[in-house]
Amino acid sequence: MIKKVLIANRGEIAVRIIRACREMGIETVAVCSEADRNALHAMLADHTICIGPAPSSESYLNINRIISATMTSGADAIHPGFGFLSEDARFARICERCNITFIGPTSAMIAASGNKAQAKKTMMDAGVPTIPGSAEAARTVEDGLRLADIATYPVMIKAALGGGGKGMRVARTKDVFQQAFLTAQQEAKNAFGDGSMYIEHYVEHPKHIEVQILADKFGNVVHLGERDCSIQRNHQKLVEETPCEALSAEKRKEICEAAVKAAKAVNYENAGTVEFLLEPSGNFYFMEMNTRIQVEHPITEWVTGIDLIKEQIKIASGEKLGFTQEDVEIKGHSIEVRINAEDAENKFRPCPGKINLAYLPGGQGVRIDSAVYSGLEIPPFYDSMLAKLSVWAPTREEAIKKAQSALGEVIITGIKTNIDYQYGIITSPEFVAGNTDIDFIEKFSRK
Amino acid sequence: MELRYLFKKTKSVPGSDSPKNEDQGPQTPQGLFHKCTKCGETIFSEELKRNLFVCPQCGGYFRMYAGTRIDSILDDGSFEEWDSDIKEMNPLKTPGYEDKLERLREKTSLDEAVVTGKGLVNGYPACLGVMDCRFMMASMGSVVGEKITRMFERATEEKLPVIIFTASGGARMQEGIISLMQMAKTSASIKRHSDAGLLYITVLTDPTTGGVTASFAMLGDIILAEPGALIGFAGPRVIEQTIGQKLPEGFQRSEFLLEHGFVDDIVTRTDMKDYLTDILKFHADKSAFKPEKADKIKLPKRSGKLTPWDKVMISRGKDRPVAEDYIKELFPDFIEFHGDRYVKDDKAIMGGIATFAGKAVTVIAESKGHDTKENIDRNFGMPSPDGYRKALRLMKQAEKFGRPVICFVDTPGAYCGLEAEERGQGEAIARNLYEMSALKVPVLSIIISEAGSGGALAVAVSDEVWMLENAIYAILSPEGYASILWKDSKRASEAAAEMKLTAEDMKDKKIVEKIIAEPENLCKDNIETVVMQLREGISGFIGNNQGFDGEELAKKRYDRYRSY
Repeated sequence: MIKKVLIANRGEIAVRIIRACREMGIETVAVCSEADRNALHAMLADHTICIGPAPSSESYLNINRIISATMTSGADAIHPGFGFLSEDARFARICERCNITFIGPTSAMIAASGNKAQAKKTMMDAGVPTIPGSAEAARTVEDGLRLADIATYPVMIKAALGGGGKGMRVARTKDVFQQAFLTAQQEAKNAFGDGSMYIEHYVEHPKHIEVQILADKFGNVVHLGERDCSIQRNHQKLVEETPCEALSAEKRKEICEAAVKAAKAVNYENAGTVEFLLEPSGNFYFMEMNTRIQVEHPITEWVTGIDLIKEQIKIASGEKLGFTQEDVEIKGHSIEVRINAEDAENKFRPCPGKINLAYLPGGQGVRIDSAVYSGLEIPPFYDSMLAKLSVWAPTREEAIKKAQSALGEVIITGIKTNIDYQYGIITSPEFVAGNTDIDFIEKFSRK
Repeated sequence: MELRYLFKKTKSVPGSDSPKNEDQGPQTPQGLFHKCTKCGETIFSEELKRNLFVCPQCGGYFRMYAGTRIDSILDDGSFEEWDSDIKEMNPLKTPGYEDKLERLREKTSLDEAVVTGKGLVNGYPACLGVMDCRFMMASMGSVVGEKITRMFERATEEKLPVIIFTASGGARMQEGIISLMQMAKTSASIKRHSDAGLLYITVLTDPTTGGVTASFAMLGDIILAEPGALIGFAGPRVIEQTIGQKLPEGFQRSEFLLEHGFVDDIVTRTDMKDYLTDILKFHADKSAFKPEKADKIKLPKRSGKLTPWDKVMISRGKDRPVAEDYIKELFPDFIEFHGDRYVKDDKAIMGGIATFAGKAVTVIAESKGHDTKENIDRNFGMPSPDGYRKALRLMKQAEKFGRPVICFVDTPGAYCGLEAEERGQGEAIARNLYEMSALKVPVLSIIISEAGSGGALAVAVSDEVWMLENAIYAILSPEGYASILWKDSKRASEAAAEMKLTAEDMKDKKIVEKIIAEPENLCKDNIETVVMQLREGISGFIGNNQGFDGEELAKKRYDRYRSY
């Protein structure tokens, strides 16, 4: 069993990991940058090592310094959290070579998931649905029509050498394909000097659905249900919930089993997330696999009662999963809202500064994951997330009410936050009605 | 009191304080990290290896083992090693010498300081020699000399090109005078290989010094170097002690050698295999000339009547295309080679090799810049003797490999200055006229803008000379003419008329064979019609001259100039 864990991260996730370790009787070592000496994680851990100046490249992203800190502190494992080095295959590889337990998958798995084209192919071979489209490029309308039939309409036509939206067109039906193809191709020729076009199925108004996976070193893989993370701004998730009410029991089973299949296809181990796009039609497509703990993991913990960080540590220690798929029961509904230090009225510009007062609510079914306290100075160097508010209630309706009530109590003064913006989202009729897809924020912001 | 002292800390689970088993705990295994000698950063060894032993932090070059080098250059599984069993000599009976070699053999798994053999570079066959500094600092004793010599002898027999990656501390002291003789022996074998018309490429790596520099390292037809390598005859420490001065930064490094004309190009490790492939490709097939059928060229409308002085001004126009622009269009795979192998690399002359319709050609160009900055760098297209010597070196190389030579002429005149005279400007020009007159390959010169005097003629003793419509060719500038004859340089426009320096004048006097029509205000944007005429013309020129042997070409050229 692991005895001492170095947490190669900061903020609320570092605090979350320290808490899990403490409950397990495992000593913790925090690392911090010079800007984070007063950060909560640095004060909460049993030991703290300052590993360098404020810029991430010289501290939280500096592999040499983190490895040195691990050696000096006598820690036998590293938890990478999310972001920073969590999906850096090289870092995981160095840990392996140094006999440090990396709490996460192996370096080879991280590298394999990082190669998007390769990962897509592996999934296709394993029978996990991927976005239809061929690796072959079309140069003529005839070729394009043939490939479009394979990809199924609507299709996206995009320049093989493309980028920046140039040489891209959507053809909803076969009738308009020729015109769309020729226009896109002409643009591509003008912009990139090449008229090779890829044809891919166009996934319209999808939901972002991800499935939480746990896998031990013995080939046992279970899923812990899905999360609906459709509410995103620039690929940054804002509100997440589970279960996704748009899924029928049957569809849920199908998508969760596809995720297990995906994990098995790469012999996955530890906690991971398989991301899908879900079309209104019910078709879903594999997007990518995240080989780390996710920000939004608390909502899965709420509905399953399973502590994901503890499970990660147990798996990394070589323990077998203590439960089977049948043991996993999804109960009630959970919603998470992310609270960021950013100015929602000003292009969501990050707003670091000193927190004068932080009042965070509690109560039945309310959970706060945060690393802020009154008087803390938020440094400008890192991610702007301050806290995560998550709630649980037996039904979605009740959970929404609880989230509204709790978020309404959150008070952070001294810096600008997105609390009011988030409050607007979870009280909007569209959200309450469950009409969310990845275009939600775009429509919401226009109002 | 600070928060950190208020929080309760972890109560460890019982048994967790038991002493750790040292073997199982975290530890950094030997060799996991390398420390970069240049920037001091710690580098993950696996990453360093993937990066071909170039520091990912600072770009510094680590010395490479011979095996790794061979793997990085040759196609997988294609290497056939030669002569790995030659017995060393101990001519001075140096005590312990044999034992030392034996220990090194064990430690390095090398039999000596150089590995030789043959293999394929992206499918092109070549002999390869790679030196390894771990073995007696890759000094050259009898075995090294013998392996190199045998490789050249066998390459000559099998008609193969040779590539050597050099690295050496110099001669092997323990073998005394026999070691010195290796310099002569290897050089002699290279001479025979060269006389057989075969290609030899050297790649100088850190460090290449002493007797290796003074023999086979510097004898390549093409000499490349890795960035930042120490290259020299005497070592820097010896020089400092001898002259009692501190040496300047960058002295004897690759970049210094490039600037001083001894290296054709500096090539990074990542690019090395592709670069070598291109060179081998250009030298692989001599008869691959396959001209494409040209589209009908729509000739540009003749501009209105221009006076000779107008043409002088046009030819000096600041937007007028320079040689580099034509090279880019006509020879997209052009590789530039640098240096005269004596003093420096003169940027007023650009030269190198390329293919034209599948046929390898040598391209030499008097090069002006596009703007003032480039012009300062290129000395406004006024070559120094070093430039003419570089041109001649590349012409002789073309002759060895049977490549036609295409010259672009664009100069106000040869550079007039102190250093130019010190290094023999007159001699350099004369030597070019002399050698070009008898080159055994076709030579074409194209006057693209200004062709001023001897400075132009030094790259224009050719089978054919062509001129762009508004280019000029004269014995000196109209300003100079006016000031010599009339003591008044302001009468230049008058002089221009009198001097008969336009393309039409040249055609009348049979100085040039062809006039290339120009669009109005020729510049980079409308260069295409000129390029098309040149492409068609060059294609015809190469085709027409293919049938002649070297002697006939030289005879034709002799007659051409005999007629003036």
